[in-house]
Amino acid sequence: MKKWLRNNLWRHAVSLFMCAFALFPLYLVILSSFSQTGSLQLTSFAPNGLSWRNYKLLFSSPAIPYLTWMKNSLVVAGTVAIVSVIVGASSAFAFSRLKFKGKKLGIQLLLLVQMFPAILAIAAVYVIMERVYRFAPRIGLGTQAGLILIYLGGAMGVNIWLLKGFVDSIPIELDEAAKIDGASPVQTYWLIFVPLATPVLAVVALMSFIGTFNEFILARLFLVDMSNRTIAVGLQAFIAGQYSRNWGPFAAGSILASIPIVIIFLSLQKYIIGGLTAGSVKG
Amino acid sequence: MGGTVSRPHFPHTFGLVPTVNIVFKGKFALITKLILLSGLSAILVLLIESAFAKKEYAIALFLALSLVALCYTYLSARTVPMKFFLPGLLLLFAFVIAPIVYTVVMSNFNYKTGNIISKQEAITQIKGLGVEPDANGTTFDIIVGRASTGEYAILASDTPNHVYFISTATKKTDLLPSQVTLNADGVAIAAPNFTPIPEAQLAGHEDYSKINYSYQNNYFISVQGINVGAVFRQSLRYNPSNDTFENLINGKIYKDNGRGNYVNVNASDDVLQPGWRAPNWFANYEKLFNDRQVRGPLIRVFIWTVSFAFLTVLTSFAFGLLLALTLNKPMRGRRIYRGVLVLPYAIPSVMSILIWGGMFDTEFGAINHLLGTHIAWFQNASFARTAVILVNLWLAFPYFYLISSGALQAIPSELLEAAAIDGANPRQIFKKITLPLLMQILTPLLIASFAFNFNNFNLIYLLTGGGPKDLLGGQIAGATDILISYTYQIAFGSNTQDLGLASSISVIIFFIVAGISLYGLRKSKVLETFG
Repeated sequence: MKKWLRNNLWRHAVSLFMCAFALFPLYLVILSSFSQTGSLQLTSFAPNGLSWRNYKLLFSSPAIPYLTWMKNSLVVAGTVAIVSVIVGASSAFAFSRLKFKGKKLGIQLLLLVQMFPAILAIAAVYVIMERVYRFAPRIGLGTQAGLILIYLGGAMGVNIWLLKGFVDSIPIELDEAAKIDGASPVQTYWLIFVPLATPVLAVVALMSFIGTFNEFILARLFLVDMSNRTIAVGLQAFIAGQYSRNWGPFAAGSILASIPIVIIFLSLQKYIIGGLTAGSVKG
Repeated sequence: MGGTVSRPHFPHTFGLVPTVNIVFKGKFALITKLILLSGLSAILVLLIESAFAKKEYAIALFLALSLVALCYTYLSARTVPMKFFLPGLLLLFAFVIAPIVYTVVMSNFNYKTGNIISKQEAITQIKGLGVEPDANGTTFDIIVGRASTGEYAILASDTPNHVYFISTATKKTDLLPSQVTLNADGVAIAAPNFTPIPEAQLAGHEDYSKINYSYQNNYFISVQGINVGAVFRQSLRYNPSNDTFENLINGKIYKDNGRGNYVNVNASDDVLQPGWRAPNWFANYEKLFNDRQVRGPLIRVFIWTVSFAFLTVLTSFAFGLLLALTLNKPMRGRRIYRGVLVLPYAIPSVMSILIWGGMFDTEFGAINHLLGTHIAWFQNASFARTAVILVNLWLAFPYFYLISSGALQAIPSELLEAAAIDGANPRQIFKKITLPLLMQILTPLLIASFAFNFNNFNLIYLLTGGGPKDLLGGQIAGATDILISYTYQIAFGSNTQDLGLASSISVIIFFIVAGISLYGLRKSKVLETFG
């Protein structure tokens, strides 16, 4: 007993303390989402009563077009996830498998580009899209289509880089066998690579989805219209500077918006952690 | 960060080749390809056309090159690798590389509030603003219409003096009272060679109100509303032959100063507004280093950026590593602990940062409630900085926990066993073997994390907005502002938006981050794989 205590008590103590730290804000936000008042003020840390008032407000109050925001987020993040993986996968395949002039330079450039935080060029992106708006109002500043295009560009570097690593790990013998069977590179891509990579492509797509869903500043700068906004921008504008007043509906809204992301994350945990460490552990 | 995502087993797909071949060869494939390609080309051609019409030549050129590249790549059989990465390449060029290049260009421009438009637009606006009313402030009752030539005209009435005339941009025709039809107020509503335009139709087109209708001497009539015209004269005249503005009243000459403004040749602080965006070469960079107004805040922000990135990586890594060590051995409830501990990392950070923002509220926030204090967290520099570090600890420790436990498992257990057999105690094993190996594995990730936090815009912007700052004192940089949020403030936040200066800071941040990242890559030996 004494030995167990010495060996394990501190482990449980540390773990419990960190769990409490991790859960504290989450507990609070759940608590206030079910409160009757919708105010930020806490009367106690224990729940008193359960009310759906804040959740109902989300779907009935005209001041909070919650469903529209949610739909916008799903459309933007979904499009970016799917298209960026389709486009990225073929580039990654080319970088990994095909021989062409300037390949090494291309890879180095890609490495440099994927390190560049998109936010650094935000002023330039803004000005460029402002100009695009002058001749093509549908894809310029203020439109979701324009925002999607920018996200796609931004996702390219990271996705190609990530997927290239995966293609590298597929034994080259498979390609060579296909080549002997008379397959062209295009066929090798569709018949060998794509079926093999489908699970990986799905994971990369979902990671891209999470990333885009969570993107704030470009969306904030771009989507000015209330009905155009994504959930992140919508909720931020809703709460901005008025923590005390709109807290309840905001809490309810954040919980609902977070649930799908948390589910995706937890089910992909294995892959995401693999992706986080693989590069370094290998080296 | 490179590396594999996962390694599934390989199904045998070779048998499929003949059956699916039809999708890639033959008429079906060709027709699909042609339909897609022509659809895309049609859209591109339309865009090129309208970009050209609006004089966005650079964008039009890029689109045209894309069109040529697309058609050549997918219609010729010679460009197999290109077929694979052209779409990705075009997106990268348009939305990543072009903005990077444009940032560098903008950083060498005088490009800020008051110098946003092009020179041509600026000249037009200066002309428009450079007018003054005549000494008496004369006005006329007017009716807008068309002259017999078809151009816009006004029928003006000076009712007290019974003076009537028709005026176009080029010509003024005086009328006798007998020639015009008056309404009850004594305003002329009809005259020969003049067709009135009904007011309802005028709403659609604004052109008529921009014309200077002829009057006398240097004066002209400008439409001030649907039926009032006022007499003005041009006080600033543009002289295209030597690119100067002349003030017709006092004779001052304004010359292009080469930096985006017309400036009085005799007094350098007498500047005509608006200016235009013009290259000023390294003036923005020079400002960063020499202008005390800019340099002071910049240095403060830089120091806080580095301290923040360092402290946040240090604290989160310490907590993450502690947890990884704690949970490294099998114990009861480990899976539950793990599940709970990654939650902060799984929740969209925009939401959780905003939630923390509410918790730090002075009056009603949970933190003050919990501590029994009444601290105005975001009004005081030290408290605000503490809050920033604490919130980021919450956000980031799960990541460091995950990578640390991944790294711990990557350390071969034989090493530790061998050390134990050699008689090392657990403390020695940890200090001499585990920790050095761990650091070797994790250093590149720690460096990458440092680089990420260097630009952790969302955290700062959503939590403190960079504050606290003394807005009344005209301060742009706040106590928790990091370089990137400060740059954003300069570009979009304050009253004067200085895109040129912001871009020059961006370029500098880029070099810093690229330096950090390359150092990290060297450590992780990724670059060697190119060798």
